Amino acid sequence: MARIELCDLNKSFGSVRAVKDINITIEDGEFVVFVGPSGCGKTTTLRMIAGFEDPTSGEIRIDGRIVNDLEPRDRGLGMVFQSHALFPHKSIAQNIEFGLRMKDVPAPERIQRVREVAEMMHITHLLDKMPAQCSGGESQRVALARTLVTNPSTFLLDEPLSSLDAKLRRELRAECGRLQEELKRTFIFVTHDQEEAMTLADRIVVMRSGEIEQVGSPMDIYSEPISYFVADFFGSPSMNLVAGEVVGDTDVVRFRSTHFDFALPEHFKKSKRGAATFGIRPEHVGVAFGGKGEIELPVRLVEPLGKDTLLYFDDGTERAFIAVSEGLEMADVKSGARITLSFDPRRLYLFDADGRRIGAATQF
Amino acid sequence: MAVATAPPARVAPRHSAREISRSRALNRFKWSIRAPLILLFSLVLTPVLLLQLYFSFHEWTVYLGSWWEAEFVGIDLFKEVLTDERFGWAIVRSLGFAMGSTIGCFVIGFALAYLMYEPFRGSAIYYIIFILPMLTVPIVVAYTAEMLLYQSGPVNDVISRLLGVDFKPAWLTDPKVAMPAVTLLEIWNWTPFSFIIMLAGLSSIPREPIEAAQILGASRWRIFWEVQLPLLRPVILLALVLRFLEAMAEFPKTWALFQGGPGSSTETIPVYIFLTTWQYFQISKGAALSYVAMILMVVIVLLAIQLLRREKRALDAMYSSKTEAAD
Amino acid sequence: MTKSRSRRITAIIRYTVLTIWAIVAFFPIYWMISTSFKIDTQWFAWPPVYFPDPPTLSNYLNVWLGAQEYASTQYAISSQTPLVSLLNSTIIATTSTLLAVVFGAVIAYGVSRYKILSEARMFQLLMLRMIPPIVVVAPLSLYYSALGLLDTMFGLILIYFLTNLPYAVWMTKSFIDEVPREIEQAAEILGASRWRTIFEVVLPLIRSGLVATFLFILILTWSEYLLALILSKTNVATLPVELSKYQGTTEGKVYGRQAALAVGITVPLMIVGLIIRKHLARGFSFGMVRR
Repeated sequence: MARIELCDLNKSFGSVRAVKDINITIEDGEFVVFVGPSGCGKTTTLRMIAGFEDPTSGEIRIDGRIVNDLEPRDRGLGMVFQSHALFPHKSIAQNIEFGLRMKDVPAPERIQRVREVAEMMHITHLLDKMPAQCSGGESQRVALARTLVTNPSTFLLDEPLSSLDAKLRRELRAECGRLQEELKRTFIFVTHDQEEAMTLADRIVVMRSGEIEQVGSPMDIYSEPISYFVADFFGSPSMNLVAGEVVGDTDVVRFRSTHFDFALPEHFKKSKRGAATFGIRPEHVGVAFGGKGEIELPVRLVEPLGKDTLLYFDDGTERAFIAVSEGLEMADVKSGARITLSFDPRRLYLFDADGRRIGAATQF
Repeated sequence: MAVATAPPARVAPRHSAREISRSRALNRFKWSIRAPLILLFSLVLTPVLLLQLYFSFHEWTVYLGSWWEAEFVGIDLFKEVLTDERFGWAIVRSLGFAMGSTIGCFVIGFALAYLMYEPFRGSAIYYIIFILPMLTVPIVVAYTAEMLLYQSGPVNDVISRLLGVDFKPAWLTDPKVAMPAVTLLEIWNWTPFSFIIMLAGLSSIPREPIEAAQILGASRWRIFWEVQLPLLRPVILLALVLRFLEAMAEFPKTWALFQGGPGSSTETIPVYIFLTTWQYFQISKGAALSYVAMILMVVIVLLAIQLLRREKRALDAMYSSKTEAAD
Repeated sequence: MTKSRSRRITAIIRYTVLTIWAIVAFFPIYWMISTSFKIDTQWFAWPPVYFPDPPTLSNYLNVWLGAQEYASTQYAISSQTPLVSLLNSTIIATTSTLLAVVFGAVIAYGVSRYKILSEARMFQLLMLRMIPPIVVVAPLSLYYSALGLLDTMFGLILIYFLTNLPYAVWMTKSFIDEVPREIEQAAEILGASRWRTIFEVVLPLIRSGLVATFLFILILTWSEYLLALILSKTNVATLPVELSKYQGTTEGKVYGRQAALAVGITVPLMIVGLIIRKHLARGFSFGMVRR
């Protein structure tokens, strides 16, 4: 079917290196999401796979065959664009039919396949309309249908949902997931939205300034971030990250910053001393009035969300320290109240001055 | 589901008939457009330029035998042309005409555009009337001008009646007035050009900087000088340069109305070349004249293009930032 | 000064200035039209006759249909009826313009997407348009006569096609530049070749721009005088050349006839111009100024 390999892939625009030494193999039928902030090279990588950009160096293989010098139309791919890219002068039916016409499929078969795909995407009622008469969500369904009808081995999706509002986004996200399960084709999806990546992907490729930062399953990425960058990027509310230093002799190891000073768990004993960032996800911070804990901080703001409550603490930085408490137990806490925080030792992360994870290999 | 169960499209097998290497296909595509273009221009332009070069160095008039037997005269013709006082005056006249009409078109065109860029009742009708002169065939402009400008004609009549004095310049026969008359005609004909360009320029200036300046308490005058004018610079230069070049090439009106006369008072470069070649049948001198004029124009056009390239970048940047904002 | 008062003063100034220029701009056109309806004694009368009285169609019938019986006096004019020139002008202008726009649009696409001409080359192309044709027209006419193209339809179509090509390339490029690339890429990945992408996606998308370009260049070609004067003699005289034959006839000034012909030449042009009035700025500025 379609197994896509990127080998030492590089792309430069003038003196700017947009993509640096990308190596990854995408297995047949896999749903891979490239994620990263804008300008990280994820879209450029996708466009190189599609054939719209020529790699500066490196190889792209589809099923073992180098396709660098193949026209986009000969690569057997389908692509959905951020802007939908429907042909504004053609009706929806003509839009969907286009790919079949280009492959010289006879008219009766074309009509039938357009109908099938339209039913599958629930857009039969749109077939006679023009793209301008369709809403954003409808347009994106049409764009998917147009790609679907050509039956590609691989779907490339370039931020297909980013122009939609939140509700439609969730709806179409589910649709994408359903499609991939039904079709069992390879999906390569590009987005800057970590939530989309987490919910859709079999595997996430995190990119940062042209390089792959980390590859892994959504759970891996979430619970074992390889760097400060990944830790910060995934999760909402995002991980608490506090700059400070690791201090202590061979027996004791402590983390210290302006507001924090606590003993680190055993497995950090051999870690390098010096400047470091300590991180913990809000859901792994225990909160209590008094009792045993790592630190006591004043509450700045309380946000009861119903299912749980967000507590924002003053830790002397601009970015508040956040803890999540289940239920509404903590909803009535007044700002200024001092609360004792405890950190789940297995869920505590340290990053060195370069942002690399320290002492990553914790076993569970 | 039929779609889902059908085998997916595959990468085309190696060496399939329609598949060719992307870089080769791209090259073929590029050259299939470039080649006819280059071919066409070289087939027409090269022989023409070579012929012109030949005639510039060989003395030939239509009264002599075959042109290919013409006598080689070296740079005699160029000497003649460069010392030709009439040609010197033609250059001066052309430059004066082009500058005068360009400035005239620009001043009036800008004023009209400035009064029109904000919508008001009736602006559409004014717009339509204002562009009509530009949509009149130049040769028609010339003949209509003749009907209007003869000494006891309607223009002098109307002006005399309005001013209450006897206003009777001999537009068409007085050597002193003839050139200004053509210049005024050019201004009448092409003010719409400056007008539409400036109007497009003024209305594509973003509103925000102007409104910001208004809030900050700037007067209309200050806003004009400090906000609008700098933003308009590329459009203004464009309007001036293109108009100047077109005016340098103006032939139909000057020719149809005056044929270079009265005396030689309306001999611009194109008219003088035309006279030499087609009235005096001095083909060789005409070619040498053309050559000198061409070099002069190439220099002017190169300067103009230098300027246009710079301003086009500014304009492109303005339009692209505008479309981004619209997203 | 209150806001409403200053606004009223602005309005008064605006309407006064604009109306004065409107009169200046329209008067010559009015004069041409009114003269075309005047009987021959009023063409050159003193004091000038401002309103044709009685209005007559004799000038039109005489010029366009050669109906001499409608003229109170006989005037020798051209050897042929302007209807032949009208046909010539129409064929030459539409054919050369159509060719220029189609070929120009393809070049423009190549430039816009594949940089087949560098920016410097694009400006060189423009240069061909900016250098006055008078400087090459003499050798051109000799070259044409050697090739047997002088005074032929094909010769004029060819030269107009070439001189208008820069305009066509630049103007269509400004429209193509506005087409999002993703639309073409969608077509490409759906299996369309480059040529099919051009003719099935890009050109249909900018069709209103193509129509504007076509009509704009039609205006330029329709009014062109110098090349037509030199490269045509009798067979393919265009309307402007035909009109110039009415100048200096042995019988003296024939203003009414000239005006009737001039109106016939100009009115189609004005209609076309008014149809594309929103695109004129773009056209005249080679697509550099848009609205």
